[in-house]
Amino acid sequence: MPDYKAPLRDIKFVMTELLDSEQHYANLEGAEDATPDMVDAIIGEGAKFCEQVLSPLNRVGDKEGCTWSEDGVKTPTGFKEAYQQYVEGGWPSMTADPNYGGQGLPSSLGLVMSEMVGTANWSFGMYPGLSHGATNTIEEHGTEEQKQTYLTRLISGEWTGTMCLTEPHCGSDLGTLRTKAEPNADGTYAITGTKIFISAGEHDMAGNIVHIVLARLPGAPEGTKGISLFIVPKLLPNEDGSAGERNAVSCGSIEHKMGIHGNATCVMNFDGARGWLIGPENRGLNCMFTFMNVARIGTAIQGLGAAELGLQGSVTYAKDRLAMRSLSGPKNPEGIADPIIVHPDVRRMLLTQKAVAEGARALIYLTAQQADIVQRGKTGEERKAADEALGFLTPIAKAFLTEIGYEAANLGMQVYGGHGFISEWGMEQNVRDARIGMIYEGTTGIQALDLLGRKVLMTQGESLKGFTRQVHVFCKENADNEQLREFIEPLTALNKEWGDLTMKIGMTAMKNREEVGAASVDYLMYSGYAVFAYLWARMAKVAQDRMEEGTTEEMFYNAKIQTARFYFKRMLPRTRGHAESMLAGADSLMDMPEEAFAL
Amino acid sequence: MADYQAPLRDMRFVLNEVFDAPALWASLPKVAENVDPDTADAILEEAGKITSGVLAPLNREGDEQGCKWNDGEVSTPEGFREAYQTIVEGGWVGLGGNPEFGGMGMPKTLVAQFEEMMQAANMAFGLAPMLTAGACLALDAHGSQELKEKYLPNMYSGVWSGAMDLTEPHAGTDLGIIRTKAQPNDDGSFRVTGTKIFITWGEHDMAENIIHLVLAKLPDAPRGPKGISMFLVPKFEVNEDGSLGERNSLSCGSLEKKMGIKGSATCVMNFDGARGWLVGEENKGLAAMFTMMNYERLGVGVQGIGAAEASLQSAREYALERIQSRAPSGAQQPEKAADPILVHPDVRRMLLTMKGYVEGGRAFSTYVAKWLDISKYSEDQQRRKHAEGMVALLTPVAKAFLTDRGLDACIMGQQVFGGHGFIREWGQEQLVRDCRITQIYEGTNGIQALDLMGRKVVGTQGRLYELFAEDVATFIEENSGDETLRPFLEPLAAAFERLSDVTEHVISQAGDNPDAVGAASVDYLDLFGLTALGYMWAKMVKAAAPKAEGDTSGFYTGKMKTARFYFDRLLPKTVALAEGIRSGSGSMMALTAEEF
Repeated sequence: MPDYKAPLRDIKFVMTELLDSEQHYANLEGAEDATPDMVDAIIGEGAKFCEQVLSPLNRVGDKEGCTWSEDGVKTPTGFKEAYQQYVEGGWPSMTADPNYGGQGLPSSLGLVMSEMVGTANWSFGMYPGLSHGATNTIEEHGTEEQKQTYLTRLISGEWTGTMCLTEPHCGSDLGTLRTKAEPNADGTYAITGTKIFISAGEHDMAGNIVHIVLARLPGAPEGTKGISLFIVPKLLPNEDGSAGERNAVSCGSIEHKMGIHGNATCVMNFDGARGWLIGPENRGLNCMFTFMNVARIGTAIQGLGAAELGLQGSVTYAKDRLAMRSLSGPKNPEGIADPIIVHPDVRRMLLTQKAVAEGARALIYLTAQQADIVQRGKTGEERKAADEALGFLTPIAKAFLTEIGYEAANLGMQVYGGHGFISEWGMEQNVRDARIGMIYEGTTGIQALDLLGRKVLMTQGESLKGFTRQVHVFCKENADNEQLREFIEPLTALNKEWGDLTMKIGMTAMKNREEVGAASVDYLMYSGYAVFAYLWARMAKVAQDRMEEGTTEEMFYNAKIQTARFYFKRMLPRTRGHAESMLAGADSLMDMPEEAFAL
Repeated sequence: MADYQAPLRDMRFVLNEVFDAPALWASLPKVAENVDPDTADAILEEAGKITSGVLAPLNREGDEQGCKWNDGEVSTPEGFREAYQTIVEGGWVGLGGNPEFGGMGMPKTLVAQFEEMMQAANMAFGLAPMLTAGACLALDAHGSQELKEKYLPNMYSGVWSGAMDLTEPHAGTDLGIIRTKAQPNDDGSFRVTGTKIFITWGEHDMAENIIHLVLAKLPDAPRGPKGISMFLVPKFEVNEDGSLGERNSLSCGSLEKKMGIKGSATCVMNFDGARGWLVGEENKGLAAMFTMMNYERLGVGVQGIGAAEASLQSAREYALERIQSRAPSGAQQPEKAADPILVHPDVRRMLLTMKGYVEGGRAFSTYVAKWLDISKYSEDQQRRKHAEGMVALLTPVAKAFLTDRGLDACIMGQQVFGGHGFIREWGQEQLVRDCRITQIYEGTNGIQALDLMGRKVVGTQGRLYELFAEDVATFIEENSGDETLRPFLEPLAAAFERLSDVTEHVISQAGDNPDAVGAASVDYLDLFGLTALGYMWAKMVKAAAPKAEGDTSGFYTGKMKTARFYFDRLLPKTVALAEGIRSGSGSMMALTAEEF
């Protein structure tokens, strides 16, 4: 496994040079603490922790995995101590409400930390990551009492949290879930049912585990409108809030899976466990949706992390490994062969990873800024616009980045040749870990339906226009810039085509509802490449401006421009295939009779 | 996990209806001696039984248990030894082997179907017979009569297994720099010393003896690839009477812990002056290796198809059983809590993509096998030469394209399962892990692409490409009057023209810019493969169309619909690839090593 080095230079480039985080933070309500110095200091400290503490545990976590026994789940060697340090460093409280012990920093800054934690050790990062979900739920919908009891301890990191949604028979379709909540005399509820795929559902790192459980009240309407949310703690809190008696919830087993071995994926059994209703009855799914976007950005980061880690490993390897001579003459004549980085195809693999990792960082940070504005924008108008942008960008970020992040991880492994397949090098673990990103928090297919069906077509294309308008303005502003022509021209054409394609699909979808599902994944991928084109063009512009102003970091900015060029020339053409494919219609998908699939 | 069922119906369709294999076999006297349609059919039937009944049930457990190393000895997962015995008793290892030394002399067109079944059922296990067959091929082509008589019969029978020892810790792709040495003994044998890694089935407990074909350098051999010789190094020396003699001084130093194919042993092999015998000429070892490469590489491509087929079988079973959400056009099974996920367009997209690649890939590998059979068995020299050209051109495509698309298909098969796809017991994630190695070994897919673009296309100034082009053009022309075929021939012709233009473009670029080939190669291979599969789908449409009318089985209409999907949804990628290739190498070579 390569030693993770936090890409601080690029983080800074995206935050401050591309997205002007200083101005952005200054415009937010209650983000006074996020001064440039403070931001630098936090990221610097976070980087050290991720490099020195979390990264070395990544292989260990994969090798040992979690172990289940009657008494609970044991995490891999070192995880418990690392979590302790994470808590002592105050990391769980970074973006949380100051009224309950949080530091009140903007979400976008928290996501930078999530990027570093997740790239260094995704399995570890999921424990605090899941706590975020529980924290957000209680912060948004909890009563004051619930906040005092649970929120303060989740924020301090003393306790962790989970989200208990999936059941054996239902994942994507939560409307059919069966877990029951029956009222007790004292206002609490008895929760009974089985939940599966519960990440961090049981472990030995924290004093208590707070489960947020989806369940049905007696007589609740069928389907998604009959689901309520409950807080079900592993240990019942005493009067003073400390953890007391054991609740009737237990981990029945943990899954044996392809990757993220260091994280416990639990079957959770609730046998009349005591729970407290949170939020209004039957509105559980709506409550979840209030922070779904932020959670999905958290998952999108997995694509970024996979690409970044694969890139770091494979660049090092490509410089060290000697094989064959460069086609244009030896580059390392004194050695027995040239380093493989001289070969065009190795470069193709490295550049693809680089374009994905750096493009993904830009997309994540851009989306995270929208989340900041939704939470702390000064005007209602600002907040509303940001909410729309966030809703539009989130499914793209989640699905597109996990898909191409997985592709990038596979390329990172491919650069290693046969060694890529061998565990000790860590690249195959990166691929195995990354694979889940395309599945959980709504599969790629589900995200694509969300984007095209709910976000784009249901708003009559308005959410798309909100974005393409920005692109249009950028293209116009730079239309006369000779040096940017190679980016601005194709971007302008693409931006127009994006709208045209959306119109066409919208028209066919009015006649045949299957068209949405038939076009959706191609549409999402197309959109992802289009958003990347916009971001890469903007990054090229920043780099070009810096070079013109004069800089001592010519190499860094030059690499940006070259990578942008590679992206436009070698990756963006993929939109051709997606465009043609999404217009091909639903017939060739739907005509096939069920039986014929098995012939 | 669905119980694997060999796709015999589709294999028969490809063999008999698409390629008329019986006529091919009849035209090759040496093949006709050994096989007729009835024999072939019986072999398919039996292969189906043994792979689904014996090998498939061991696949999951093989992954969980893996192989174990203990002081140089390797023990295989439970059941592997017994299964190997069954394979030996059935004579499956020597299915395609030379009858003069106990092989069955079956044509590759048929053998490839068996290989697909075996790899689909259990890839880790399937590698053992595959490696043995490969070693036999090299030995049969280059070994002395004495070596052949001594080793081949027991290898074809499978009583002894074979291994290929090429890679060293510092040298994989670049075999020119290997260090293993071979020093002559007085008796004509050699002492082989060195370390080899990634040796698949280099050591195990399933066969009585293991015959290693080792690449090594003779004293004073020229540097680079022209100084490499091939040696036969048996684990146990073989006495004059054929019985096993002394243990030779080679041993397995350790096993690799790896991503997949865990049921197979990937060995570090240490040779400490082990006794070996030269195979073929001195310093011609690499060339000798290449004679079997075409077969091996097609075999790896077939592994990609096999894994994808297994994944497809499970995915469609799951898509029919798993109920989740309602169809967009209204409930299909109102009596249930939800509809089966097969109603959802995107699930269909995944399954049809898998089907498009698996069935198209099966036809393509059979097509390549056809050229291998002609190149090996035809008595007409011109026909043979023509086929050799086709084999040379198409082999890298079969290896790389079929494994790339095979992995894509396995990933989709996993995606159809949602969260369950990530869980080991369902088997889908294992197929992804197993299939992943096929893009790497036997020459990474990047190397295949260089071979195709550099040696085969640019290196012959398009001469080999013309052979293929002629074949496709003839097909299009011959069928241009066919109304049913027209909607398929038009996009095929367009894609094919695109491929030809790009081919010409790259050949013209390559003269001035040595990096042009490497910059275009992977996308080019992809473009080639997609177009070639388009050709296969058009051929399948031709075979299926006359029978589709009034077809009650649904097989032929299903073919037509999958073909439609392939042309509508998969072939369009060729547009993107052509555009990427035309952008040239500039954007790839500009960055300095530090700038990465």
